[in-house]
Amino acid sequence: MSIIWGLFFTPEDFVQGNSYRIIYLHVPASFLSQTLYLAMAISSITYLIWRVKLAAYLIIAIAPIGAMTTFIALISGSIWGIPTWGTWWQWDARITSTLILFIMYLGLISLHNSFSNYEKADKLLSWLVIVGAVNIPIIKKSVDWWSTLHQSASITLTDKPSIDSVMLYPLIGSIIGFFGLVICLVLLSSKYQILHREKNKSWVKDYV
Amino acid sequence: MFNFAFNSFYEALYMNGHGLYVWSVVILVFISLLGFFIGYTVKIKKIKDKLNEPN
Repeated sequence: MSIIWGLFFTPEDFVQGNSYRIIYLHVPASFLSQTLYLAMAISSITYLIWRVKLAAYLIIAIAPIGAMTTFIALISGSIWGIPTWGTWWQWDARITSTLILFIMYLGLISLHNSFSNYEKADKLLSWLVIVGAVNIPIIKKSVDWWSTLHQSASITLTDKPSIDSVMLYPLIGSIIGFFGLVICLVLLSSKYQILHREKNKSWVKDYV
Repeated sequence: MFNFAFNSFYEALYMNGHGLYVWSVVILVFISLLGFFIGYTVKIKKIKDKLNEPN
């Protein structure tokens, strides 16, 4: 609903024209790409400290969805860059650190799939996710630390939003909506992981 | 706040020349989300069918 609100019912931006409407998909995807990685990092810590199996399943359940949201963020940003910056790619800090995040997601998925011993894979993956979490504050702060083509954040927790409320409300709505959709996907993916990893257990046979 | 920003459906599609960029992103997001949803639903169904097979 918020995406429709943003696409059809918000006024045209006086600088970027209608291309700014990509914000209603690009920002939620970027926000989720980082949030999902943080969720993986929290699951990794939980698994390494308390050995909660579900946390290990959650890491590998989230990874493909995180990769998908990061891919959407990169591609939508590139498409948005053509009319706005005149280029679809620039090796600036924000875009490059997001590309690194995407490669990290792919690497973690490939690494997990290459193991036949799931317990070893879970342990190694957890450590790698925690080490890789250093990239999240780099992505977040890249626009402040370096001079980048990418604009600084329009919405922060501490400052007044630099975006007009007419455009802000549908943006917040689309972030919440996108978040809900991705939570549904994470639940489906987790269900698959649990069924796949516990398929030899009697409770799974009773469940299905 | 809820005024339609365009004068016609064609204008909404064209978006002053930016429609191609905006709608390609919309399609990408729609296909990605739907693809993942269908993919996981099929995978869960397959694993359930396999577990239900008589040994």
